[in-house]
Amino acid sequence: MKSVWRQPLFILGFGIISFFLVGSFLFEWIFGSIPKQTFFIEENGRAVEAPPISPYWKHPLGTDEFGYDMFAKIMIGAKYTILGAMAVAALRMFIAVPLGYVIGTYLQRQRSWINGIIDPIHYVPMTIFAVLLLSPVLWMPMEGFTTTVFERVVIQVVIMAVITVPIVASLIGNEANLLYQQEYILAARTLGASRRRIIIRHLVPQMREKMAVLYGQQVVESLIVFAHLGLLKLFLGGTLVSYDPMFADPPKSIAYEWAGLFGNSFRYLQGAPWLPLSPAISFALVILAIAAMIEGYTRATNGQVNIKRRKKMKYVSEDVVEWNQQQLKEKLVLLQSDKNK
Amino acid sequence: MKGFLKWVIQFIVALISILLISGAPLLIAGFQKGEFLWREYFEALKFHVVTIMNISELSIEYSTGRVFKEVAVFPKIIEYMTYSLQLLFLALGAAILIALLGTFITMMFKERARSRVKLIFYFLESLPDILIITLAQLVVVIIFQKTGILVSKIAVMGDERIYWLPVLCLMILPMIQLYRLSMITFETEERQSYVELAKSLGFSKSFILFMHIFRNAIISVFFQSKKTMWFMLSNLFILELMFNIPGIMLFMYENISGVLFLITVLSFFVPIFILYSIGEWYFIRRLRRGEAV
Repeated sequence: MKSVWRQPLFILGFGIISFFLVGSFLFEWIFGSIPKQTFFIEENGRAVEAPPISPYWKHPLGTDEFGYDMFAKIMIGAKYTILGAMAVAALRMFIAVPLGYVIGTYLQRQRSWINGIIDPIHYVPMTIFAVLLLSPVLWMPMEGFTTTVFERVVIQVVIMAVITVPIVASLIGNEANLLYQQEYILAARTLGASRRRIIIRHLVPQMREKMAVLYGQQVVESLIVFAHLGLLKLFLGGTLVSYDPMFADPPKSIAYEWAGLFGNSFRYLQGAPWLPLSPAISFALVILAIAAMIEGYTRATNGQVNIKRRKKMKYVSEDVVEWNQQQLKEKLVLLQSDKNK
Repeated sequence: MKGFLKWVIQFIVALISILLISGAPLLIAGFQKGEFLWREYFEALKFHVVTIMNISELSIEYSTGRVFKEVAVFPKIIEYMTYSLQLLFLALGAAILIALLGTFITMMFKERARSRVKLIFYFLESLPDILIITLAQLVVVIIFQKTGILVSKIAVMGDERIYWLPVLCLMILPMIQLYRLSMITFETEERQSYVELAKSLGFSKSFILFMHIFRNAIISVFFQSKKTMWFMLSNLFILELMFNIPGIMLFMYENISGVLFLITVLSFFVPIFILYSIGEWYFIRRLRRGEAV
């Protein structure tokens, strides 16, 4: 296996992710957790623009409707969103991988009906499923939350991880089962290896690379579900709802995580497009970075990078090729007529 | 006949597992309080079944100001369903068509150029749907501001129906997925020996592609397209929300409840499941006949 650090795509992706993650912690450490607020821009003593202020050099991504700097919000929120998605994917893999191996080896006979039960989950859109299950947890009830922020984050991560465990497990199970039919595993079994040993010695090392790719895909998927939930005003760690009948604030997210930034600002799309666009583009950037890392990783492990241009044969002229083709056709016709006799 | 019985069992198992899911929020709400509400859970499931049986009597509480009104769901919900399904299948059809057309065109290229195209599409595939919808709406707004021509409405008001922009937004990502999928299957098929033979017989590339590779590859594309379907359903939900489309998903979200969740999922599950079953039956029959000769 070549080193992944020689793959430019992998390094690019890794760079973007670490920029957001390390940058997020550094930013909060240096500038504090409250973004800079600008109330209006003055020009010659006259206010020319009130929040939301469009992007210019001092606020590269503009400000929101209360004058808070968008760039600061994006940077502070990055760690919650990225780490949250990674946690969901990690927990999902942690549950699904052992289950998948068990389905693929111990439960081979039952596999067809296990797949039959899991299959209908394919028709329940992931986002709707998440909304249905998470609404009671994340939407603040009239009398306030009974759970703490940390508890809610944990419950959300667990639920989001668990709902697609069956699908991932059946995927791994099918993959493991394919490998299980290979000859060398048959040989190992004949020599008396137990199923446990086959899993540990053969299946796990064989599928390690596939698992890494699968993990990356799961992170992407959870990021997208986060974004969808944000649009539905269900934010990471719960949604603060104001039930004040007169001056109700819009639902608020607890930290500046990106899903909340996007969900709350989507209705400003026409007036202040930088508000929804900057979190949406950040989401896209992180997802692209992960995709680049996956691609770099598979290239490093497969070892195939360039397809070299094939050299043209010099010494065979077109006539010869044509003659060959004609001969072959005639022979085939003869074969056909032989068959028909 | 045996196959049909198996299909019926599969269908019923699927219905039961969707029913079990529809009651799950109760369990989670109970779990938060530290209780296990299994009795309430089964009560809710029973209630769901009964409501589905008498769907024409199902009604929803609308609160207009202070007054709570009971509004019957039944005739209206069919309209929502058909609109959602129309969007879904229009987008699916367009995605399949364009993906296959794109595959044909790229297959005519040399291998080097092909790998570059594939890499570009790999990255395009991972764009989030929210960004695509946001950008599409923004483009429409900018065009309107610059030229005064409203290409398409970006939000639905009342009972009107918009088609082409939502279908376009819904179509892009599945199209890219299907395109990549069919590229992979076409390329593995291209390495088979019968293609080599056909080449050596002097058939043109496009003829081999259409008459031989396409027929064989389409089967495996079909079997793997289920995941794309799943992905599209999530997209459709977000789409209805962002365009304010009066479809079944938005309706369910606005009046979220276990029963409506069940109805929504069923309204997608039943047609798609039947469609896929017919497709599977047809393709497997064709495959078997091919082997027997």
